[in-house]
Amino acid sequence: MSPDILDETTEIWFGPQHVSAHGWAAKLTLVGDFVVECDPNAGYFHRSAEKCLEFRNFRQGALIMERLCMLEAFLAEYPYVQAVEKIAGLEVPERAKVMRTIMMEASRIHSLQFWWGQFSAELGLFAMLLWPWVDREFFLDAFEELSGSRHAVSYSTPGGVKYDFNDKVLEKLDIAIARFEDRMPVMRDMLMGSPTFRARTEGIGQYTLKQGLKFGLSGPPIKACGLPMDLRKDAPDPNLAYDMIDWEVPVTESEEHPGESDAYDRMVQRFREMETSVEIIRKLLPLVPEGPIVDPKARGKSNRLPEGEAYGRVEGTRGISTLWLKTTEKAQTPYRAKIRGPCFNSYYSLKHLVPGAKFADFIVVFGSLDPYPGWWDR
Amino acid sequence: MSEDTPISGATFGRQIVNKFPDVECTPKEDGILECIVPADKIRDVVGMIDEEIADAFPESVFGVDLQEDKFEVIYIFWSRTNRTQYHLRVSLEGSNPEVDTISDIFPGMEWHERETWEMFGINFKDHPDLRLLLLPEELEGKYPLRKSFVTDRSRLKEADRTPPKPKPTEGGASE
Repeated sequence: MSPDILDETTEIWFGPQHVSAHGWAAKLTLVGDFVVECDPNAGYFHRSAEKCLEFRNFRQGALIMERLCMLEAFLAEYPYVQAVEKIAGLEVPERAKVMRTIMMEASRIHSLQFWWGQFSAELGLFAMLLWPWVDREFFLDAFEELSGSRHAVSYSTPGGVKYDFNDKVLEKLDIAIARFEDRMPVMRDMLMGSPTFRARTEGIGQYTLKQGLKFGLSGPPIKACGLPMDLRKDAPDPNLAYDMIDWEVPVTESEEHPGESDAYDRMVQRFREMETSVEIIRKLLPLVPEGPIVDPKARGKSNRLPEGEAYGRVEGTRGISTLWLKTTEKAQTPYRAKIRGPCFNSYYSLKHLVPGAKFADFIVVFGSLDPYPGWWDR
Repeated sequence: MSEDTPISGATFGRQIVNKFPDVECTPKEDGILECIVPADKIRDVVGMIDEEIADAFPESVFGVDLQEDKFEVIYIFWSRTNRTQYHLRVSLEGSNPEVDTISDIFPGMEWHERETWEMFGINFKDHPDLRLLLLPEELEGKYPLRKSFVTDRSRLKEADRTPPKPKPTEGGASE
């Protein structure tokens, strides 16, 4: 390399990507092949969801929430529903609690399958994009059977859920999980055992636990550092069924760099997350009790809410998603709703994690944090 | 990270009040510790959270427009060890409210502050990078999440279109 190249910096816009390929752009400043500055840009399809929520009633709001992250729709809509339930003081029937939890975990598997394919494609492994996405279709079939829609499911509603399980739903869910259990280990070992894949991901985008916490990272990026920070266990929600069964929060502790995580660890962690989700679903399915799926008084009670504030939180696929809700007396719509998307922070952290990496590794750091733009362009 | 001995919300609240007597701390249900913090003490209290709580996780910063030039900025932190959410509330007044940035203590709050600035016009003093984050340039300085912001209806009128049927306005909606 001639010395002149090192004297000059080059600015490259990585994006704006097409909306279907994320819809984001980062300005990278390069010296030679190395990134010295990264400026992630947001706002390419900002939908002002927080303002929209102020104009929708308390049952409609969940529909806006799930559109923030269609991949984890069952999880994304939940913080809003939880906050409304807290302010309105709604009771959720036992059957709805278990059904919600099962579908949230199915949504997690589906979302991770999507990420897994997409991350592989970002690394240039196109076959690994299609294989998990084929298996993902079977989950979508189950969602469609349940709600009539493959992505915009609008399942949870204040006071319960909208659609009941039937034999066909359970059968399709069973097919999806069986297929996943059958094929995932083979494909995982094929991918993770590949020397090329290891070379691309090991030691890339490495940070310590303390750094991760300071950047506001949560979910798999933190659990891959060895800290089992998981709201499902740490702050069990009385309206979900995670405390009905025994399960362990999956963590990944690397032997080479304990307390730190790189792109490879985060990949390992996400496969463990999927296995845990399957375990939770398998344990909960026989426990679905009989009974109503929604509190019959919920509709009336959620028409107008008393004055109050509530904070709904859920452990999403990508980390902690929350919603802070403030209502005024007899309000039909929220006074203020603040959404916290986990990817808002993971996308921001590129600013600190990318400098020093090679240009070709930028996409590895990005993909390994699994940022979904809907969570920052709310 | 080793598992530290948990400090309950109430105990930590007392520690804050002992150090900064003009802060009010109230433990609430769901493991929430609510602290009403004067605007000039926010850096001290956040610094104390950073020092005392090893696994402090910056969850959110956001503004609330209470109308008549009154604003509230709410900071939310979570500690897994203590199973406590720390909700710090700062009241601000005036049409150009200001509060110190905490993004040097918790870098994860940098974008949250940036968003609060562009949406509410709350200035974060010494913030390293106060640029538009989510909004297009034509909305700079319009502060769309303030209740006084005139929403789409007037814009439709400008574009000579029929406004949609009015939605219920109690609660959040502004005219």
